[in-house]
Amino acid sequence: MFVLSVSRLLVQALPKQPVLPRASAQCVRSLTTSQQDPASKDDMPIKMENPYKQPAKTCILCNVTVDFKNVQLLSQFISPHSGRIYGRHITGLCGRKQKEVTKAIKKSRSMGFMSVTLKDPLFIKDPEICGIKHVE
Amino acid sequence: MPRYELYMILKAMQRPETAAVLRRTVETLFERGAVVRSLENLGERRLPYKISKHDSRQTHGGYFSIDFHASPNIVSELLNHLERDVDVLRPTVVKKDTELPKGQCCGAAREEKAKMAS
Repeated sequence: MFVLSVSRLLVQALPKQPVLPRASAQCVRSLTTSQQDPASKDDMPIKMENPYKQPAKTCILCNVTVDFKNVQLLSQFISPHSGRIYGRHITGLCGRKQKEVTKAIKKSRSMGFMSVTLKDPLFIKDPEICGIKHVE
Repeated sequence: MPRYELYMILKAMQRPETAAVLRRTVETLFERGAVVRSLENLGERRLPYKISKHDSRQTHGGYFSIDFHASPNIVSELLNHLERDVDVLRPTVVKKDTELPKGQCCGAAREEKAKMAS
């Protein structure tokens, strides 16, 4: 009985399959080819677009055509109390768009589309684009 | 021939009179060899400020725009003629830009610069 169990143990102890030396990928590669493939270089950095890229900074009127007839749009850049045009530091527009807006406002004022000293009462309730706090 | 737009503010009048003024204006344009493209009514509204013209102070007016092709010589004559017209409060001739402005908007320009640098 004891002999049988021991033999069973021995059988179990012996590996069932012949053990080959574990060849890693690199060893196999070195055995087969002496040169490294340029395509499969694990250490070199992979070329990709910057994953931390931030969206390009645009002003609010980017790709928006500014027209002297669009009085509602132009009225968003003037003061509701005096009708004065806000400066660049208030509107936050880029150089080109600020110039376009100023020119359009002056044009529409002279042509009789937009008021000079006030903001049209219809447009006072419009959403505020310019970050300016009025004294109440 | 360059393309112009004539924006007129007419006195607030009855329909037949407004029609007569517009007809007069378009006929003037035809006489001077202009090709009228379109005539649009931008609506009758309250003027943004009181306009005093030809001894009258007006608060309401009808806005009209005429798109036409003409030689540059007639523009000053046309404006002269319209200033003398009693029913026209404010005539303005504007050159029409058919081309898109050169260059791109801020965001696109900056992206292009970054791409060129890298």
